[in-house]
Amino acid sequence: MSKLELRNISKSYVRDKKTFSVLDDITISVGEGEFVTLIGPSGSGKSTMFRLIGGVETPDRGQVLIGGRDVTGVRGLISYMPQQASLFPWMTVRDNIVSALEIAGAARGEARASAEDWLRRIELDSVAGEYPHVLSGGMQQRISFLRALLMPRDVMCLDEPFAALDALTRTEMQRWLLKLWEDQRRSVLFVTHSIEEALTLSDRIYVLSPAPARVLREITVPFERPRRADVWTLPAFTALKRDILALLGEGDGDSDAI
Amino acid sequence: MGNNVWRRVWPPAVSFVAFVALWQLSCSIFKIDPWILPSPAKIAVHLAEDAPAWSRHLAATLRLVLSGLALGVATGIAVAVVLHLMPLVRSAVSPFIIAFQNVPIIALGPLLMIWFGFGLTPKLILLTLVCFFPVAWSMLAGLGRTEPHLREYLEMIGSTKWDILRRLELPASLPFLVSGLKIAVTYSVSTAMWAEWLGADKGIGYYLIIKFKGYDITAVFGAVICIVTLSLALYGLAALLERRIVYWRPRSRAGRAGDAK
Ligand SMILES: Nc1ncnc2c1ncn2[C@@H]1O[C@H](COP(=O)(O)OP(=O)(O)OP(=O)(O)O)[C@@H](O)[C@H]1O
Ligand SMILES: [Mg+2]
Repeated sequence: MSKLELRNISKSYVRDKKTFSVLDDITISVGEGEFVTLIGPSGSGKSTMFRLIGGVETPDRGQVLIGGRDVTGVRGLISYMPQQASLFPWMTVRDNIVSALEIAGAARGEARASAEDWLRRIELDSVAGEYPHVLSGGMQQRISFLRALLMPRDVMCLDEPFAALDALTRTEMQRWLLKLWEDQRRSVLFVTHSIEEALTLSDRIYVLSPAPARVLREITVPFERPRRADVWTLPAFTALKRDILALLGEGDGDSDAI
Repeated sequence: MGNNVWRRVWPPAVSFVAFVALWQLSCSIFKIDPWILPSPAKIAVHLAEDAPAWSRHLAATLRLVLSGLALGVATGIAVAVVLHLMPLVRSAVSPFIIAFQNVPIIALGPLLMIWFGFGLTPKLILLTLVCFFPVAWSMLAGLGRTEPHLREYLEMIGSTKWDILRRLELPASLPFLVSGLKIAVTYSVSTAMWAEWLGADKGIGYYLIIKFKGYDITAVFGAVICIVTLSLALYGLAALLERRIVYWRPRSRAGRAGDAK
């Protein structure tokens, strides 16, 4: 049933000969076509969780399952969109996408066709041949998202993809992503610091505690799909926001919410 | 666009012309003996007259320099990649390479002559060694200094070591490789001169020594001009290559965007 599952994951790092526990018995899941968000204080271990899912690191305890199979420590099963766009400066926009698809095993011609087709669909075909440095931050993130979307992988992991954008661009990007995602319905695990962003985009939210991270609460977001652009005006939205704020401990979780 | 090029070219052009004029004038006003300092005009005339001789020697030197550069750059790149991929080998070998690099070429040149005779081989080896080091070391630095967030991205999507080398490390190290190449180019000409001075039967360095021995100071100046021009031309080519290779970098100044083509 669930595409991605973390079972009783614990992870600690050793720094200056002291052990820091980062993740403490985390159990979460992402269903088929579900948009799930992790929200938690800075340093609580969200990116660490992604590194475990990506197989770049291995947990001290627990398992990572994708499509029901134990894939703890196995790489190459997810697609990923980091906070910085991380486009390769020496490749054109098109080649950035093609290169990622090739890493995922696609043939060059096929990858090219799909990149060009999709760039046209998101109306960025005019920059297909440009180098990333001429693109605005928002455009770079769109390309980065498209690159993640096109990878033929079961789960998309998005780690604070909009954190580096200004508030206006960010809202615009949220709408753009929402529309694209509602068309595609991929399984997404998303990380954000913004409660509004989480409530606007997700089906479910896991609220995490400060390190060592535990799941404080799992919230099912009750708003219908497709999401209305003014979903934030609903009383239920405000109520949920207040709940999450309280969980994160007044104020400190909301510092960069918009 | 033409305006931009002109603005960059005219100050050195004017100072160069002024320098030559001053030189010419002092030679005629103070009646300086051409044995001591020949005038630019005399040198030019001599260069024109002796063109068949010096151009043959210059071509021989150019062949030597280019072959040495090619061999040095190729081994430099290969060694850099191997050392980068094998940290253990790197830590085992790099002290030797650095120590070896500090063997003075004054000692190395004659030794190579003793071992390999006076032909092309010892000169080529010397040039290769001299060009190898700056290329290998800057390339190695470039391979190890890739953007951490790009590496993290590649690891997260499950790239193999080979993917990381091909799609990140090699392209990212190209600018480093070219700066190494620029250093190698400047070393290569002076090393070729040194090699030809040690023993040769052709080459512009050999030509210079012959003319020195014959007290033909005008010809010596001519040879110096040939050598300097060769050096500058090679360096210019390397600089051009650099621009070609790092095309993706945003141009730092608006003025440079125009003359890139
Ligand atoms: N390789 C490592 N070695 C030692 N400590 C690490 C390592 N990686 C992460 N940590 C520590 O683990 C904790 C969690 O880091 P992580 O990056 O997962 O947090 P995060 O929730 O993503 O934070 P943010 O919201 O600021 O991105 C931090 O205290 C961090 O210092
Ligand atoms: Mg993080």
